[in-house]
Amino acid sequence: MGSLDLNSLINALVLGLSIASIWLLAAIGLTIIYGVVGVINMAHGEFIMLGAYSSYLLQSYFGLPFLLCIPASFVVVAAIGLVIERGLIRYLYNRPLDTLLATWGVSIVLMQAVRLIFGSDPKYLAVPALFSSNLQIGFINLSVFRIVVMAVTALVVAGTWFLFYRTRFGMQVRAVTQNKEMAASFGINASRVYMLTFALGAGLAGVAGSLFGVLNIVLPTMGTAYVVQAFLVVVTGGGTLLGSVFAGGLTGELQSIFAAVTNDTFARFLLFLLIVVFLWFRPQGLFAPRSVRR
Amino acid sequence: MNLYHNKLAQWAAYGVFFAIIAAVPLFVSDSFLLNQLGTYGVYGLLALSISLCWGFGGILNLGQGIAFGLAAYGMAMTMQMQTQDPESNPIPPFMLNNSLEQLPALWEPFWSTGLGITLALVVPTLFYVIFGNLMFRARVSGPFFAIMSLAMLSALFTIILDMQPYTNGANGITPPQPLTILGTPLDPYGPATYWLVCGLLIALTVGAKLLTQSKFGLLVQAVRGDAERVRFLGYNVAAYETAIYALSGFIAAVAGCCWVILVQYVSPAQLDVSFSVTMVIWAGIGGRLSLLGSMLGAFIIQGGQSYLGDALLSTWLLGLGAFFIIVVRFLPKGLAGLLEMGLGALSSGRRPKQLEPADRANAMAGE
Amino acid sequence: MAGLLEIKDLHKSFDGTPVINGFSLEVTEMTVCCVVGPNGAGKTTTMDLITGRQKPTSGTIHFAEEDITGLGEHEIARRGIGRKFQVPAVFRELSVRQNLEVAYSKQTNALKNMFVFGDAAMKRKLDEIAALANLTERLEVEAGTLSHGETQWLEISMVLMQNPRVLLLDEPVAGLTEGEIMKTARLIKQLKETNTLIVVEHDMGFVREIADVVTVMHMGTLLAQGTIGEIEANDRVREVYLGSEEH
Repeated sequence: MGSLDLNSLINALVLGLSIASIWLLAAIGLTIIYGVVGVINMAHGEFIMLGAYSSYLLQSYFGLPFLLCIPASFVVVAAIGLVIERGLIRYLYNRPLDTLLATWGVSIVLMQAVRLIFGSDPKYLAVPALFSSNLQIGFINLSVFRIVVMAVTALVVAGTWFLFYRTRFGMQVRAVTQNKEMAASFGINASRVYMLTFALGAGLAGVAGSLFGVLNIVLPTMGTAYVVQAFLVVVTGGGTLLGSVFAGGLTGELQSIFAAVTNDTFARFLLFLLIVVFLWFRPQGLFAPRSVRR
Repeated sequence: MNLYHNKLAQWAAYGVFFAIIAAVPLFVSDSFLLNQLGTYGVYGLLALSISLCWGFGGILNLGQGIAFGLAAYGMAMTMQMQTQDPESNPIPPFMLNNSLEQLPALWEPFWSTGLGITLALVVPTLFYVIFGNLMFRARVSGPFFAIMSLAMLSALFTIILDMQPYTNGANGITPPQPLTILGTPLDPYGPATYWLVCGLLIALTVGAKLLTQSKFGLLVQAVRGDAERVRFLGYNVAAYETAIYALSGFIAAVAGCCWVILVQYVSPAQLDVSFSVTMVIWAGIGGRLSLLGSMLGAFIIQGGQSYLGDALLSTWLLGLGAFFIIVVRFLPKGLAGLLEMGLGALSSGRRPKQLEPADRANAMAGE
Repeated sequence: MAGLLEIKDLHKSFDGTPVINGFSLEVTEMTVCCVVGPNGAGKTTTMDLITGRQKPTSGTIHFAEEDITGLGEHEIARRGIGRKFQVPAVFRELSVRQNLEVAYSKQTNALKNMFVFGDAAMKRKLDEIAALANLTERLEVEAGTLSHGETQWLEISMVLMQNPRVLLLDEPVAGLTEGEIMKTARLIKQLKETNTLIVVEHDMGFVREIADVVTVMHMGTLLAQGTIGEIEANDRVREVYLGSEEH
């Protein structure tokens, strides 16, 4: 502790990369929901929790191997997200504070429903033996599973980028975010775009959940731990994909370095103060499109 | 005219409410029940503070636990130090367990009861002034402010949990004896303490109600509607936002002090995110635009929760969450809004308000 | 008479794209200056720069011989510049009376306003202005329920409650009926007795009715300035306007 020599600095940087990948994975679904649909989704943590529970369910009742649970959780949580968007969120577009509150209500309902169904006792996800081993490269020591998380995060970011910038759907999404009316006049159905984006964001939270269920135990309340962190990444990044990647990387590394010098909780506190100061100078975040009003 | 908007009728309703809550000790002989009803006064204060900040000021504050918790810790520290002796026994037992050999400087001012209580009220209020000023000057508003206040709360929660030797971490502080003021101990189970909380609730409610009727109150509501327009009329919007936010923080700080006087206990649970959100739910369901409605919302929800017991807690919360969604979607003014509509229908004999075509056109042009 | 408002060599660009390109203007006290120009000429941006909503890239704005460039919106408003927005901006949830009370900004201090519960001078002024704008009957209704014309008038009334020396009116007659336009023109002529007005408007009939000076903007610069007669005879103005504006 205290001083920081080169070895521990490199260790901290590698660990920071791992933390960054976790935060980014937690934030990515939130980023696209916020960036495209404009909804502050307070139930995002519960979408993550649902991802963990659906993996648990599929694994322990249907014997699905863990690696297949990840895409399966995507499908399950995306479907739940779709239902919530159609049943509630779509009526609240253009009322940002109300969507925030309503999604908080959704988060309470989801958490309590899971508690009633599965109980409050912790569940565990089993992973292949290889994943629970540790990898030693020189003096750097990292668990294999954390490398898996990094790989999945990289895959998810690349996939999302491809979807938004290289496909017809992505073009429609960007048209709708830039000018809804004009997009509509070109025959793009904004309501459909929002619905699919919301479901996609929920599905990505599901992916995050099935991995976080391994990192931590599976509990009805597990989502709350991620939601604030995910929001800070989104706000710092300005609500764009690139912004979140940078913000996630930066905050993850800083958290890790601060933690190496002080301790975990104090590092979190410091990091938060830093974000408040940063947002004071740049309220629009790292990469935000200029807003136009009136 | 709608009776709901009649100022005299409003004050009459508040008068009846005050009379009822003040008369409670005359009818309740069970001291444990009286103590519990006293904590409802604390919930009432918190709901009042949320209604002022969110309902009137439009500032959704998901971190009201900051003021509540900081004040509660200040009060608990004051009460703890009342039982310590500077000569023979200067260090609280939990610090000894955490192998502290000296009283931390942070604790020194709490030797004095007057200074301790002053700090318990001033520190949270000042915190709100600084944090609010920082945020509102940068024009952080709406959902972003909500998230920042939430994040600030969780940061504080982690730091209090982490500073085990100073705060006793997750166990919290349990002052062994009730608060003694001017040589007299305030029995948390006696009517005097109940009336103290009740008196503070009445005084602050009257103050808040008057505030909403002042020019300041009007401006704060204008800021809620369109902050930019207010700026162009020559007002420093950030100053108004900071003021209403800090005032609501002060009320929550009073609530925090009362809480510790009543329960003789504080822990990081008072700064838990879910408790702060619960406060918003009280005001949302009761009616955030009505101070009285918000307080009644707190009473109904907390009452229901404690009488249903732990066995049905999950089901109760599930129902509450679902009902809250319905309120947000269909009843933005909460149950008080329902009353407003009812009284409106009664006094005019027709549906209270209908959107005219011109209104819709304006609404669309406004976006 | 010296200019009450003097704009010198104003530049403003967004992300490198110039929107205002060396615009200068001098407005004399107690006159009506109409700013016209095709869409995208930079009229509303100029209003934004004068009132502090945007900061200029370069150039200066003087008001009553004081440099107000770069001041905050509320500081500029306090010095006596009132603004009506292009899209009427009133407080829709408040009553018409409350809208006018908010606009009366003699006391702007937040702490002092906690102890203000209505004052007699304000009430007199409110009644006077409500009568002027035909809103006396509508004082107790919610502003959100007003018709479009009434909303425009309410916002002009709010600007008057501010007691400004200069009124900036951005498209005050957009969407009004012929009768309402004539009433607005009469109101503006009445206001000229005591105030200075800058009016951005597309409706050339209305401009003809009220303007002392007409300023034509094009591509972020001043294209021409003069009386309405001079402007209508100006070949360059015709060139810019032909086909792009109907009047």
